[in-house]
Amino acid sequence: MGERNDDFITYELQEFKLFEPLFRWARKKSLWIVAFCTGCGGIEMPPLFTARYDIERFGMMPNPSPRMADLFLITGYVTPKTLKRIIITYEMIPDPKYIIAHGSCPINGGVYWDSYNVVKQLDKYIPIDVAIAGCMPRPEAVMDGIQEIMRKIESGEADGWKRYRENYEWYRKNQDELFGEGWRERDARRWLAWI
Amino acid sequence: MEVQKLPDTKEGRLVAELLEKAPYAEGSVRRERRIEFRVPKDEVKNFLRLASEKFEILLQITVVDWLKEGEFEVIYQLWSVSENVHAMVRTRIPRDDPRLPTVMDIWPVAETYEREGHEFFGVIYEGNPRLGPFILEPREYEKHPLRKDFNMLGYVKMVYGEDFDRYDESKTNYVI
Repeated sequence: MGERNDDFITYELQEFKLFEPLFRWARKKSLWIVAFCTGCGGIEMPPLFTARYDIERFGMMPNPSPRMADLFLITGYVTPKTLKRIIITYEMIPDPKYIIAHGSCPINGGVYWDSYNVVKQLDKYIPIDVAIAGCMPRPEAVMDGIQEIMRKIESGEADGWKRYRENYEWYRKNQDELFGEGWRERDARRWLAWI
Repeated sequence: MEVQKLPDTKEGRLVAELLEKAPYAEGSVRRERRIEFRVPKDEVKNFLRLASEKFEILLQITVVDWLKEGEFEVIYQLWSVSENVHAMVRTRIPRDDPRLPTVMDIWPVAETYEREGHEFFGVIYEGNPRLGPFILEPREYEKHPLRKDFNMLGYVKMVYGEDFDRYDESKTNYVI
């Protein structure tokens, strides 16, 4: 897996391949989370960070700024309105970035499968590395997913950010099909008339 | 109109007192702390203004779509802090021309509830200055998705693809 994408990563010099295992170990041990709570999973996140299931021992920290984050937890259903914000936040995260989809709604819509306002297949729009099933998953399940993404980071399988770069046309086409061409500008201008 | 005998309780006295001022309405007591009024649509603003002396809080404005009758039923849910009574004021408006006067000047919170009713059902509350895009995407704004004649599954298939489930067997029907 690592060999295939080597020519793609241009900014990482070939000499640094020697240190790649060290970098991966360091990335897995200090994942910072964007505190972006979508849906019901927002109330499942605080128990993870507090005293009972303390995931700060894995080196994880909730962080309000996407520029400092590595890990993006999609907690719960995603509406098209939220998906716009999620895409913008995801594109603001610097490059080694990973997504955990959390709950059954990002997988196939969950109980909102017939809703006009819930995105059914989230990985058509942004790449997902690990999906945790459950509605909502127990904190143990989330910690299992975190162990899984740590394993994937160490082995180099968590390559969602590379997939997003390589297949950007495909993701962009799906996003434009859902929101319409030029949705970023239109969404920014939409509320000007109602200020 | 069949005259219902009101019970001699706090709720019954409250209904009788209101009906005396507003003879066009029908009132009944559902159970303890729950009363109900039916008002014709032209008088609903006057009735709510009368009721607001006793009922300080507007809890919610809900809309029910009665497709066969061709009518929307707008239900104003009121709560009286002084009497601990929950009242529902029901009124019916025609489906093809759903218009009602706003009640923003009686309870200012009505602004938000009326925007919601406007967006999901297309009821026009005359006098509310902020009827416009509120919750929905622009694509759904004109569709009024909570109306009964909105084809939900057809719309979902139009937006998210004909087979929007990710697995091999299609699970995109209501009855499997």
